[in-house]
Amino acid sequence: MKSAFAIVAALALSGPAAVGAAVPAQSAAAAEPLPRYPQAIATDLGVTKLIGETDADAPVSGVQIFVAAGLDRESPSNNGAAALVAESILRTPVSVSGKSGDELPLRDAVESVGGSLTYTVDGRSVHYYLEGRSENLASLVTLFGKALAAPDFSAENVAAARTSLLAHVAEFESNALSVGIQMFRRSYYTTGAGAPALGTASTLTSLSTSDVAAFYRANYKRAAVSSSAVGRLAPQLGDALRGMVAALPDGPVSAVPETARTIPGQATRIIAHRDVSAPWVVVGFAAPAPNSRDFGAMLVLESLLSDAFERESATTLGFVERSVGAFYLYDSSPASLVVYVNGTQIDPTQALRELLLVSRTLSLKPLSATALRHFKTAAEGQFVTDSVDLSDRSYLLGTFASQGLGPDSINAALTALEATTPADVQRVAKSYLQRYIVALVLPRQTEGD
Amino acid sequence: MAIGSRLRASALGAVLVLGATLAPGAALAPASAATGDLPDLGPNVTVGRLPAGGTVIVDPTQGAPVAAVELWYRAPSTGFGSKPLPALARLAAQAVAASKPLVGDPLGKVVADAGGRLSITVYSDSVSISAVVPAAAARSIVKTMTTAFFAPVATEDGFHQAQRDVEQESLISNYDAETVVRDAVFAQLFTDGPQHYPALGDPKDVSVIEFSDVKSFATRAFRSQNATLVVSGAIDPGVAAAAVAGRPAASDEAAPEPPAVGTLSTTLLPVTKSFVEPSGGYGWAGPPIADTREATAMDFIADYLFRSDVGAVTKRAAVEAPQALIVGQFITLHDPGVMFVAFSGKDSSALRSLVDDGFGLVRKPMEPRVFASALASFKYHLLSDLQTPAEVADNFGWYSVEGAPEYAPGASGETGRYFQAADSLTPEFVASVAEKYLGKTPVVVTLRPDPTKGKVKSQ
Repeated sequence: MKSAFAIVAALALSGPAAVGAAVPAQSAAAAEPLPRYPQAIATDLGVTKLIGETDADAPVSGVQIFVAAGLDRESPSNNGAAALVAESILRTPVSVSGKSGDELPLRDAVESVGGSLTYTVDGRSVHYYLEGRSENLASLVTLFGKALAAPDFSAENVAAARTSLLAHVAEFESNALSVGIQMFRRSYYTTGAGAPALGTASTLTSLSTSDVAAFYRANYKRAAVSSSAVGRLAPQLGDALRGMVAALPDGPVSAVPETARTIPGQATRIIAHRDVSAPWVVVGFAAPAPNSRDFGAMLVLESLLSDAFERESATTLGFVERSVGAFYLYDSSPASLVVYVNGTQIDPTQALRELLLVSRTLSLKPLSATALRHFKTAAEGQFVTDSVDLSDRSYLLGTFASQGLGPDSINAALTALEATTPADVQRVAKSYLQRYIVALVLPRQTEGD
Repeated sequence: MAIGSRLRASALGAVLVLGATLAPGAALAPASAATGDLPDLGPNVTVGRLPAGGTVIVDPTQGAPVAAVELWYRAPSTGFGSKPLPALARLAAQAVAASKPLVGDPLGKVVADAGGRLSITVYSDSVSISAVVPAAAARSIVKTMTTAFFAPVATEDGFHQAQRDVEQESLISNYDAETVVRDAVFAQLFTDGPQHYPALGDPKDVSVIEFSDVKSFATRAFRSQNATLVVSGAIDPGVAAAAVAGRPAASDEAAPEPPAVGTLSTTLLPVTKSFVEPSGGYGWAGPPIADTREATAMDFIADYLFRSDVGAVTKRAAVEAPQALIVGQFITLHDPGVMFVAFSGKDSSALRSLVDDGFGLVRKPMEPRVFASALASFKYHLLSDLQTPAEVADNFGWYSVEGAPEYAPGASGETGRYFQAADSLTPEFVASVAEKYLGKTPVVVTLRPDPTKGKVKSQ
C-alpha cells in the first residue's frame, strides 16, 4: 500500500514541487475531449415517459422499466415484499402465442422468443431490464406488460419466488463486503431504503401472499412507471410501453420520506461476525444527490479514494485482490459513499487510519490543478468504462434522469464531473467525509482463537 | 490509479529484450479492405497488415465512448522450450506490461492514468493483452501497447512486480472450482503440449521461472509478425495508424507461430483431487474449429444446457441445488475443441446427475418447438454477447489465433459464417453431434475436501 500521508502531503498540502513528484506534470490525457454518449432524448408517451439513447449499430436493444416500488416503500415488517413481487412477476405464466394452454413463466417466455429479462431491487425502485433484437423489443414489452398487469400471486407461485430469493439471500450473507455495506445502510437510513434488497430469511418467510399482493396494489400504478431504452431504434416500442402502463391502475403514488440519520461526530462502530478468513471494514459517509452541485466532486473523491491506496500492478486488480475500494451509492436517496478495506490484503487498522487521514486532509486544502486534472481524467475513464453495456447505460440514464439530471443524464453527469474545481473537492470532502459510520465484519471466534 | 507511483526501474536498469527502432506505423497496408489472404470480416470491419507483419482488425462502433484495444498472440502458455514452464506466458506478458520502457511510462500505468483497465489472459495456446479505455485515449493506447509488445522490454523490477502479481492470481485461482476442474480435465485429455498444463500454474511454478526465461519467451512470442491487433469501439477508423512497427522480422521470424498441437490421451482415467469443497466435472474432445457446423452444434448444446440462469441444467439446479455452481461450455480450439463442465456444491453426486440428465436430453433429437425456441435463444445470446467493444475485440482475437477469423460470430453479422452454421442446425444434426462426441467416455473429475485439513473459510 502506498502511504496515505505521502499521497496527501504531495497532492494537497505541499507546494508545486511535491505535487510534481506525485502526478505527471503533463498528463497525456489532459488534452483529450470530454467523453460523450449519444445524446438521449425524452419522449412523452402520454401515460408515461421514455428516455432513449440510440446506437444505430447495436446488435440488440434494451429497455429498463422502473417502477417506484423499491425498498423505500417497504417497512421493517414487510422487508422483502418488493423482491417477492418482482420475482413473482417473472414467474407469472404468459402465452407467447396468445393461445390458452401455451403458457410459460414470463422469464422463460421471453427467452423462448430470443430475449432476456432480469430485475434489480434498489432503494428507490424496482427496475426490470428487457433485452432482445430491436425488431422484437416491443413484443417483449407487450409480453412483460401482461404479467405486470396481472401477476400470479398464487400460494404456489409466491412460494417458488420465496425459495429462489432465500438462496440469493444466503449467497449475499456469505459475502463480507455485501454484509458490511448492508450494516452501514441499515444504520444510516431511517426508511426501508436501508433494508436488505431481497429481504432476510425471516422476513421472507413471514410474508404471506396477501402481503405480497398488498404491496403490489399499493405501488404498481401508472404514475410509478418510467422507462429508458438504449440500442437501435425499436419499432413500436413507445406504443408497447404506453399499452403496458395503461394496463396498470391509475391513482396517486404516495410520496415517501427521503431521510437518513445524521451521522454523529463521534464515529459509530457496528460489528458482525461471519465465516470469513480476515476482517473487512466498511466506512460509510453521507453523499450528495446526483442533481447536487457537489455530484461531480463526489465522483472525483470516489475515484481518488478507490485507487489512492492500491498497490502497484500492471493489470487492473480484481475485487478480491484489491486492498481498498469505494462505491458512490446513488440508487437511494439520500445517497451515500462507502469505502471498504479488504483485510485479506492489508492491515485494516492501518488502512482505516490512513483513509481517515486522507479524508481529513482533503478537506483542509484544495488539490492542485494538475492533481485535479489527473483525478478527473481517471474518474471520467472509470465512469465510462463502468457504463458500457446496454443494461448499465439504460439504468444510469433512467436513474440519473429521475434524480434531476435531465433527459441526457449520463452526459450531464460527465459535464458535472468535468466542471469540478479544486474548491469543489475540498468543500465536498469537508461537508461529507468528516463524519462516518464504521462497519466491521470479523471472522467468527473459533475454539483456540 | 498509480498516484505518485513510479516503477523504480530506470532506463539504466532496463533490459532491452531486443534492440529495436520503433518507427511510427503510418503505412498500414491495406487499410480499407480485406484482400489476398486477409479475412473478410464484414463491411464495417477493416482488416490490414501491420507494417512489420501481423494483422490488424478495426471495428468502429457507435455507443458508449469507450474503446477496447487488444493484442492477441499465438503462443504456448508453457513456453517454447523442451521443458514446459506453466505460467511462463502469463508472467512474461505481465512483466512486459509492468516494465518501464526507455521512453515513457509502462503500459499498465498509461492505461490506469486514462481511467482504463488492463487485463492479461492466457489460454493454453494464446495470450491476450486487453485495455478498455475512454475512446479518446484509444490512439495513445494503441501506440503504447504496440511499443511495449512489438519490441518488448522487461526490467528486473517489472519482472519482480509481475512475479508477485501472478503468484497472487495463481493462488486465488487455486480456490476457484471452475479453474481447478478445467485444468484437471485438460491435463487428462491431453498427454502433452501446453494443453496438458495449467495456463496459470501454481504459485510454486511462478516462483521458479527465471528472468531469462521471461525475456526469451517475450522475444519470440511478442512480435508484430505473430500478433493480431484488434481495436473496437467509438473510434476513428484510422486509429490503427498509431501502431508502431516494432522490430523487423529476422529471417526465421516472418511467420506467426503455428497452432499448438497436443496429443489426445487414448485412456481417460478418472481424476480425484483434494479441494476446499465438493466439486466435479467432465471433459470431452470435440470437433476442430475448421468443422464449423459441428463446432456450432457444440456451442448450441452448451448454451441450451448451461447458459447462466436460463440453461436447461442451470435452471433445474437453481431449484434443486440453489447455491450450487454449474458451468459448461464448448471451448472452440484449433484442433480439437473441448466440451467442459464444472460443478460445485454440497451434494456433488446430485449435481452430477443433473448434468448427466442434461446430456441425455441432447443426445436425442429435440422436439421441433423446443428446438426452435432454443435456437432463437442461442442466436440472441450470440448477439447480446457482442454488445461491448471488449466483447467484439475478444471475439475477433480468439477466432483469429485459433485460425478461423471469418468464423467469429461477430464477422459479417447475421450473414456471416457462424450464423450460417447456426441456421443450418437441425434437431437431428445436433443429436448426432452430441452422440458422436459426448457419447464417448469423458474425463471425469472429482474434487473432495481433504479430511486432514481444517475448515477453509471463504473470502
